[in-house]
Amino acid sequence: MTLRAIQGIRHIRVLPLAPVVATAVTGTGRIASARERGSQYLHSAAIIGYKPKAGLHLRGRCSYSTSTNTSNTNSAEWKTTIGLELHVQLTAAQKLFSTASAKWDDSPNTNINMADAGLPGSLPRLNPQCVELAARAILGLNGQVQPMTSFDRKHYFYSDQPLGYQITQQLHPIGRGGFIELGPGDGFQYTKKVRIHQLQLEQDTAKSIHGVYPGYVLTDLNRAGVALIEIVSEPDLDTAEEASCFVRKMQTLLRHIGVSNCNMEEGSIRCDVNVSVYQKGNDRLSGTRCELKNLNSLKVIRGAINAEVARQIDLISKGQVVEQETRGFDARGNKTFLVRSKEAAPDYRYIADPDIPAIRISNGWVNKVRSTLPELPEATRARLQVQYGLVQEDVETMINEPGCVQFFEQSANGRDPKRVSSWITSEIFGQLSYRTQNLTDNPLTVVQFCDLLDALASDSITSAQAKQLLINFMDGDRRSAQELIQEHGWIIMDDQAQLNDLVSKILDEHPKEVAGYLKGQKRRLNFFVGKAMEETKGQARPQDISRIVKQLIDARSK
Amino acid sequence: MSLLFLLRSSQRIPFKSALPQIKLLRRQQLSSHSTPLTSCQAIDSIEQSNSTLNAFVSYRTKDDIAKSEPQNGPLKGWPVGIKANIAMTTASTTCASKVLEGYTSPFKATAVEALEKAGAVIVGKTNMDEFGMGSKNLYSKYGPARNPFRPDDTVGTEIYDYSPGGSSGGSGAAVAAGMCRVALGSDTGGSVRLPGAWCGIVGYKPTYGRISRYGLVPYGSSLDTVGIMARTVEDVLSTFKAICIPDHRDMTCMSESLRKRINDMAKSRPWVNKLYEVSPGESLEIKQPLKGMRIGIPRECWVEELSEPALESWKAGARRLADLGCEIVAVSLPHLPYSLPTYYTIALAEASSNLARYDGIRYGRRSSEKPDDLHNCNASNKYANTRSEGFGVEVQRRILLGTYVLSAQTCEQYYIPSQKIRRLIQQDFDSVFALPNALHAESALAKSRLLTSRPAGVDALLFPTSTNTARLLESKEKNQAAGYVNDVMTVPANLAGIPAISVPAGKKNGMPLGLQLSAQYGDDELLLRIASHLQQ
Repeated sequence: MTLRAIQGIRHIRVLPLAPVVATAVTGTGRIASARERGSQYLHSAAIIGYKPKAGLHLRGRCSYSTSTNTSNTNSAEWKTTIGLELHVQLTAAQKLFSTASAKWDDSPNTNINMADAGLPGSLPRLNPQCVELAARAILGLNGQVQPMTSFDRKHYFYSDQPLGYQITQQLHPIGRGGFIELGPGDGFQYTKKVRIHQLQLEQDTAKSIHGVYPGYVLTDLNRAGVALIEIVSEPDLDTAEEASCFVRKMQTLLRHIGVSNCNMEEGSIRCDVNVSVYQKGNDRLSGTRCELKNLNSLKVIRGAINAEVARQIDLISKGQVVEQETRGFDARGNKTFLVRSKEAAPDYRYIADPDIPAIRISNGWVNKVRSTLPELPEATRARLQVQYGLVQEDVETMINEPGCVQFFEQSANGRDPKRVSSWITSEIFGQLSYRTQNLTDNPLTVVQFCDLLDALASDSITSAQAKQLLINFMDGDRRSAQELIQEHGWIIMDDQAQLNDLVSKILDEHPKEVAGYLKGQKRRLNFFVGKAMEETKGQARPQDISRIVKQLIDARSK
Repeated sequence: MSLLFLLRSSQRIPFKSALPQIKLLRRQQLSSHSTPLTSCQAIDSIEQSNSTLNAFVSYRTKDDIAKSEPQNGPLKGWPVGIKANIAMTTASTTCASKVLEGYTSPFKATAVEALEKAGAVIVGKTNMDEFGMGSKNLYSKYGPARNPFRPDDTVGTEIYDYSPGGSSGGSGAAVAAGMCRVALGSDTGGSVRLPGAWCGIVGYKPTYGRISRYGLVPYGSSLDTVGIMARTVEDVLSTFKAICIPDHRDMTCMSESLRKRINDMAKSRPWVNKLYEVSPGESLEIKQPLKGMRIGIPRECWVEELSEPALESWKAGARRLADLGCEIVAVSLPHLPYSLPTYYTIALAEASSNLARYDGIRYGRRSSEKPDDLHNCNASNKYANTRSEGFGVEVQRRILLGTYVLSAQTCEQYYIPSQKIRRLIQQDFDSVFALPNALHAESALAKSRLLTSRPAGVDALLFPTSTNTARLLESKEKNQAAGYVNDVMTVPANLAGIPAISVPAGKKNGMPLGLQLSAQYGDDELLLRIASHLQQ
């Protein structure tokens, strides 16, 4: 790469001679040194089975696995270290180095140009939108966009790799630094920053399709060359829960800043995990890292880490060596299996890509990108608590639902924020769970929701009616709240005489319950209120009924 | 505007090309003709001599050419040959390799597009060493191309067994034998200059990034340039003007703004501008048209392998430049002796990477042999048969060497030091040229060097293109490395990315010799101007 400067390349002047090349090309330095630095964050493996506080809203969040096999060993002497590599597809319309559409799920082999198919004489051309999205990502993580970034070739032969190499960033990634913070808001009793080692741009591979034609592997090049960012964390994670929470928070962040849709099922975010277990005083056997590949859900990530930790502890306890290798996860058997040993690992023969000049990035450009970032989740979190006085649980729930904070802020304008957030987190989210929908997929509008809240606040409907109204809206009814109220013929029954008659009748019909109430079974009150609400089809205010029930029973008992 | 000067004057100079007749060649005469070569004449001579010289691997018929009128432009009607590793939609682009047998590109190289726009008529694809790997045009799936020149003592026989040089040997032989007026080659380590020298014509490697590489099948991407071969510097210049354009499809192609910066800097030299005031046509009357220029003779080029005739022609060239008014000074490029191993490390490393894509899956030839155990072997084994059958012996050797130097255990021993030495070689060149390197020009130091008075440093360097005249195709080298020694004079310019041109410099026993001029990064215009005076 130092030599690119010679060759009349845009953006480039003199690149320094690179003594760093020597260490970095071999790739040995990174993990070792990173691990040393990470040691201050190491905790004992005992936390693996940590349970969340009761009463948290868990919607959209990981459900915590309760326990894991820490064997019969003394947990205090074991330290688990976990680092993650996330591959995230960018939302860019075109591929990283070609103008073909990045829609990889179109009809096979339709979105390709010369460079994607590796035709002789074709050349890559960097898509600036991808650079900008990668910059957004690293800025969103509080990291730094590097002033100089370049691309490298990583060689291996595979039918999903049309060039015989992947264009990636080994030496000079576009982003370094940054962190994701895990804390009480995520269900932990402590706060920790999980640092980002680097963020790099790279090409996705083509798709291999097995089993359609017996004896053949089909290749769909639509995905070849689609832009990915690889985010490598420092080995700062200690438990499976931390790891899956880290991934979830990364998804939330990257969606929020528009970098990726981070859909795990579609593979637009993929996760590899490095796990090592260290036993105090046992340097000889412990501390070797294994890589777990192709973990495609949060549940699988947790399961695989726990299974791998258990396997490594078991091996070391038996006095056996943990080999450095790549492993997969068998979710049914709840165990990891060998994919590739260290000896079989390909030598990637990294080389600076001579077709792509290094890129100088100015501070001005970085600031421009930074200015287009929306408020980051951490800042939103703090602001919602201070500005609206919301409880943390509601804030967390809303932040984790795309579009929800905006929905809340628009609805809360001029209304009681606590009431609004409680309606959103209990009623709306309840409906969304039932429908397995996201907020943004549901037709409910802010205007409809505000009308509903206002009708409720002015006592023109009861909360039971309001809930029915919400269901209408969320079913896709586009009429206004007023129209629906009229159609339902909803009015509040507040004719005292009428209510008195009604309650009186109910009391007459249920002498046993009345007797019970009089004996001190105060919760019988709810029974009568319920009956009355049923009779009035929810048109009476429960508090009115409750008052009348008390009055009448008191009168009778005298 | 000085370029325009040259263009205009070139029209006044009679075109020194020959009608392509093998009889003439037998007499070792490439006599001057006042009428330029037409595409019909070119096809005639291809039909007549290609079976002997094997310069073209495919060519068009007269009928085919007659079907379309060439576009109006400065090269209107010029018959042009294109090296077989430059992509075209109308003829196969095989790189003379079995692995690309029958492959026709769906797109056109930028250089080809520009040539056609300028009116050139592409007559065919020229022979080459497979993927540009070789110095003798020996390693081609079409068989070797042959040099139209022969030693005086074999004249009268039918034997043409001398190499035209490589890898653009087909282009060199074609131009020398009048099968086309200009040919495009590619130059990774001397592949247009060596055939230029051995075939007695002009071979020009521009500054890296001057001509887009889009459509040039890569060998060593950081070294590759499209090169131009012709009988005269003037023809080279006209062609260069037509294809030297910015191209967004090649990220390593010079941008508009860099081109302008170089131009501004090059024009800020008063001692050079004096030269531009005189057109080459007038140089015959003006006694010393190059007065004020300073030419460097690099000490390190006086290598052990340099033959007596090459040394003599070097001395004669220096004398000629001195007669034309140049000041001749000795300069030192201390890291030059390392350039050959450096070049072979970097070029082969990049080649092993660039050639990884030829797996027979998406295009090209696929082996009919199935691997023994299809389901249990890894992907590289599945490709092994296709690659073993498709690549020739030299390409396989270079892929293996390139793979070796990039391997985890050896990368630090070979590849990384080579990159560092490459930088030192480039700095050596920067230190001898008067013109600062435009890529460094924003430093205050570089600015301060641009003075109105003559700064230290030379304007161009003069050294032989090859250590000797053309070699026999059949000649056996003592070992493989000996074959690579031919490149010792040419690779430094590729490593430094600077322009270099080989011009004919007399003959020894009927075989042509070439002299090379090289100039600072981006200083192509001055280089061509000096070369036009040096050519005899």
